[in-house]
Amino acid sequence: MANVLVTHADEPLGRRVVKTLYHDPGVGQLLTVGAGPPPRAFDRFLADGSRRLSYVRVDLARHRSASDLFHSAALREAEIDTVVHVPRHGATQDEEAPVAAGLPLRTAEARLVVQHCLEVRSIRNLVTVGSAYVYRLQPGNANRLRENSELDLDPTVAPELRSWIDCDMIFHGEVGAERLRVVLLRVPTVVASGGYVYLNPGLAGPGRLRFRPAGFDPMCALVADKDVARAVRAAVESDRAGIYNVAGVETVPLSVLSRWTRRPALPAPGSLLRLAGAAMRWAGGGPLLLHGDHLRYGFTLDTGLAERELGYAPSYRIGLSRAGDGVLRLETSAA
Amino acid sequence: MSDTGETGDGEGGGAPLDPGTAGGLWLDGNPEDPIVLSADGPALLGRDPFAELDEPDPFLARIDGLAPLARPVAPTRARLHAVEPPVARVDEAVGETAEAPPPPRPAEPPRPGPRARRRRRISLPRLSEVELPDVSGWVERWFGEEERRRLAALTHLVESGGSYDRFGLSPETVRRVFPLFYALYRVYFRVESRGHENIPVEGPAILAGNHGGLLPFDGAMGVVDVFLNSDPPRLPRAIVERWAGTLPWVNVFYARVGQVIGTRENFTDLLDEGHPVLVFPEGVSGIRKPISQRYRLQGFHVGFVEQALRARAPIVPVAFIGSDDQTPILYDLKGLARRLGIPAMPITPTFPWLGPLGLLPYPVKYRIVYGEPFEFHERFGPEGAEDARLVRYLANQVRRTVQHLVDRSR
Repeated sequence: MANVLVTHADEPLGRRVVKTLYHDPGVGQLLTVGAGPPPRAFDRFLADGSRRLSYVRVDLARHRSASDLFHSAALREAEIDTVVHVPRHGATQDEEAPVAAGLPLRTAEARLVVQHCLEVRSIRNLVTVGSAYVYRLQPGNANRLRENSELDLDPTVAPELRSWIDCDMIFHGEVGAERLRVVLLRVPTVVASGGYVYLNPGLAGPGRLRFRPAGFDPMCALVADKDVARAVRAAVESDRAGIYNVAGVETVPLSVLSRWTRRPALPAPGSLLRLAGAAMRWAGGGPLLLHGDHLRYGFTLDTGLAERELGYAPSYRIGLSRAGDGVLRLETSAA
Repeated sequence: MSDTGETGDGEGGGAPLDPGTAGGLWLDGNPEDPIVLSADGPALLGRDPFAELDEPDPFLARIDGLAPLARPVAPTRARLHAVEPPVARVDEAVGETAEAPPPPRPAEPPRPGPRARRRRRISLPRLSEVELPDVSGWVERWFGEEERRRLAALTHLVESGGSYDRFGLSPETVRRVFPLFYALYRVYFRVESRGHENIPVEGPAILAGNHGGLLPFDGAMGVVDVFLNSDPPRLPRAIVERWAGTLPWVNVFYARVGQVIGTRENFTDLLDEGHPVLVFPEGVSGIRKPISQRYRLQGFHVGFVEQALRARAPIVPVAFIGSDDQTPILYDLKGLARRLGIPAMPITPTFPWLGPLGLLPYPVKYRIVYGEPFEFHERFGPEGAEDARLVRYLANQVRRTVQHLVDRSR
């Protein structure tokens, strides 16, 4: 039976992972970590007499607090042997990973988590979620990406994507570690019930208005948050190490996705966006992603390896559904 | 549109092929350097490296088995008698040089590869099984019952039951733009076609044709023709140049109507899913050839043969008559095209004098002829794709057949 530490449990993906693991009979103790107060969704778990779940507030981007967590009595008492690291992706879909001293907190956290997982000898498994937008895209809408596809190491890539690529490479570097089993799950756009969308750089960022290059409409592979949580559970229970693509069945154009999520991405001339992006970088860098291959070219993921080695298969469908208030929303439902 | 087959150089010479050269084979894709198989002695292999060895040429031993390919392979269909099967002549030439031809490898039953087993084959219902949709607009009124059934069947192309397949095909977009292409097909190009019985009714297939005319209307007319003349209605997925993926709006349009960027993975996936795939193995060389070279096939990329062998898909040779007349190219400014990063910079009677309008095709009459399918996989199996010489040889067989079809149908 695995005893699991889940990071960023206060963010949407982390919450979903905790819920799934909590109901898994193969999981014992659950130590959950977040930067904010415990989510209300955990109230009934915390009130449960079994005391299987506990929640602590920790800033994982600070070395001291991360070190205190990994060497704490709570971690020893819970006999944690597995860490599920859900990188910071924003408590709301408007939020982006903040940048401190030029280094995205997401990257700093990834470094500290890997370092402490290697140091603490009782931890034998590290499962982490990464973004599939780390891949280099070729012209066209039909990029079929496998785990060994080339990463986008272009130095001019947008900071938001850069942080995902850095995280990916940090975990990738430890996949072959002898003592620690590392599993990296690369996921595309994650859709949660209620019309929430995460990890799509084309729809990220604050504000109500986004831009995309005119004349391009990349296909976006989708996956339900519940399927991501199922893949994490499969990785926890597996004895395999490696990198796996995790995706659902549906693929929709970015324009359709932005319409469904009411996060309009207006088409504008590509050259104009490129100039604006350069100006913003010169002025100190802005969070808006104005241009880049991910806004031009689409991709889908080959999930064959995850199917064969982890036993993962998507079981949730994504589509529009009319809620009680009569509004059409993006929803997920069991296939 | 082109096959960008990554393994082929595709830059064979542009000299005309001579269909009357019975013993001529072009093993290296250069028609000016034929390798002649003599009828009264050992093969004169010219620059063939095997010729300097004492050992028997394993390649020649393999092509000895080509004879059964001349047999009809498509089920229950009439053949195109006007087309002389070139492989039969090859067999005659080779047969005299081989003392004891090895028995042909017994044909294995088609078995899907591991990828095919994992992926569901897309299949469309027969027209009689499609529910006739309501007539909702004037466009629908223009179409007959059969065309409306065909358009209704398109929804089965999207495996997930959604609105888009993973390549970006949108059946709804196809329905919307179909009237325009139907008008081009019926009224503007007045397409005539024959040999539809050679198009497999189901399963993967590769339609390999000659390319011409600067803008790929030959591909569009080919897709419409197959769609209108197959039951169940099949929508061929044309393989397009990667360059098309960088063009604003064009890339979106191509994706929505089912065209796919020509990468090895996409090609493999399309065949695994059981789609018919339309390729133009000449690539860009086909569309930018000058008027003096019209209807003379350029060198073939060979990637499509590899894919056919691996996916156990038949190759249907297709001749497009009319495409080379739609935009006669007087001269191609290749240097300027390279500087601009575009495939061709043509001078035509109307371009650049009339601006972009000068690129529009003339209202020439199109004829499309489908030849007998090659089932190379039955003879050589998927492992044949690993043999570069064999693949090149088979690609040239397809090329010669297409050239024959073109010459006899003009």
